[in-house]
Amino acid sequence: MAAEHLIPATGELNLLDTNFAACPQPVYAELLERFRVGTTAVIGAPLLSRYEDVIWALRHPEIFSSAMEVHMALGTERPMIPLQVDPPAQTRYRKILDQRFSHKRSLDLDPAVRRHANQLIDAVIERGECEFGAAFAIPLPCLTFLSLMGLPHEDLELFAELKDGIIRPPVPASDLVGAYEHRARTGQRIYAYFEKVIDERLAAPGDDIVSYLTTAVIDGDRLSRHEVLDICYLFLLAGLDTVTATLGCSVAYLAANPAQRRRLVQEPALVPQAIEELLRWETPVTTVTRIVKQDITVGDVEIKAGTMVNLLLGAADVDGGEFADAFRVDFERQQNRHLAFGGGPHRCLGSHLARMELRVALEEWHRRIPEYAIAPGETPRFSPSIREVRHLPLVWGTSQAAKRA
Amino acid sequence: MRVRVDAAKCEGHGRCFALAPEIFKEDDRSHCVIPDPVVPAGLEAKARLGRANCPEGAISIEEG
Repeated sequence: MAAEHLIPATGELNLLDTNFAACPQPVYAELLERFRVGTTAVIGAPLLSRYEDVIWALRHPEIFSSAMEVHMALGTERPMIPLQVDPPAQTRYRKILDQRFSHKRSLDLDPAVRRHANQLIDAVIERGECEFGAAFAIPLPCLTFLSLMGLPHEDLELFAELKDGIIRPPVPASDLVGAYEHRARTGQRIYAYFEKVIDERLAAPGDDIVSYLTTAVIDGDRLSRHEVLDICYLFLLAGLDTVTATLGCSVAYLAANPAQRRRLVQEPALVPQAIEELLRWETPVTTVTRIVKQDITVGDVEIKAGTMVNLLLGAADVDGGEFADAFRVDFERQQNRHLAFGGGPHRCLGSHLARMELRVALEEWHRRIPEYAIAPGETPRFSPSIREVRHLPLVWGTSQAAKRA
Repeated sequence: MRVRVDAAKCEGHGRCFALAPEIFKEDDRSHCVIPDPVVPAGLEAKARLGRANCPEGAISIEEG
């Protein structure tokens, strides 16, 4: 009997399918085997999956541009900086942003993140159960972001609402006009919020990121007000959901794989390497888009200038051409050049911050709640695009024992 | 053994100095710097580990 294919003969993949989001690796395997260039459903954009093709595209912004049309996207009036800007302008922004988001600076936030993580654990530990997203994975990156930006923690719920208003507007998936309008309205609220913050920081600068941006000098020039706004807008969209998604995917994996989890509990020093492997295996940001600037050929497929292409980071990260034993999750993998944070000049600006947050979160959670499981009878539910676990009910301690009995 | 980093290729992933801090250091943008290209005896495997984990292929090694 022939194995059933997950992908039709057209090589078409629906990136917004929730089944794909829940378990993408078998789909990646089939794409890698059968289609060097696939296509995305609905839009029909070419889809690159092989590690060698994806890293080539990421490293060549002169061919694969990030300068997207902004009218359709994410409620913005202008490109988000530096994500939607190409070198050399992008390089200038990264000079000052890389310093502020460096590995060393990320370590300064370790104590604050550890404190937040423990406060969130305090709130649920006695209960013996929680929905991991609401209890931990959503608030922790939001609190980190608020600390970094020097914003009041009372704005936690407002921030969650604003980013969700852009990333997953509360309208039916088929209502494209409704989604567009909701994003546009939310975008205006985000601009208005940061306009006010910029005014406050100009009047009374602190050591937060907004103050840094209002005073930063690149090659002798200050950033314009629009530039500061367009950077803040990106931080709100890029800095919260991605860490939430990675925490959720990682803990869903560790809940379902107790032997792997127990290794981390017994050997906390293994956490940084385990995070790299979980980033590779889960690759929560499954795909990034680019516009090709010239006619190119990938394999035997021609792609015309002006075409939007998707780079499937998730598939590249399980490509057997790059990774030995790619479908085994190995916390001691010796060579792991995963692309979960992208690569080339747009390498995720927040990657050092994200790694610190993930490390602190997994260390503290497993120190205090080493044994946990997905609540019996429950199945985690994933949202597509950024693979966020929208429903991850966990049980532990006496509650875990009671529910098992 | 000598190790070098191509600054034009390094994008600041930070994998090298996380895995082999004895050899690879970070600048203020988390890009790789190598204060001494001569790898001390006994640290050859660490140098190779740093090279093997650079997503940009920015690190090269001269054996011998």
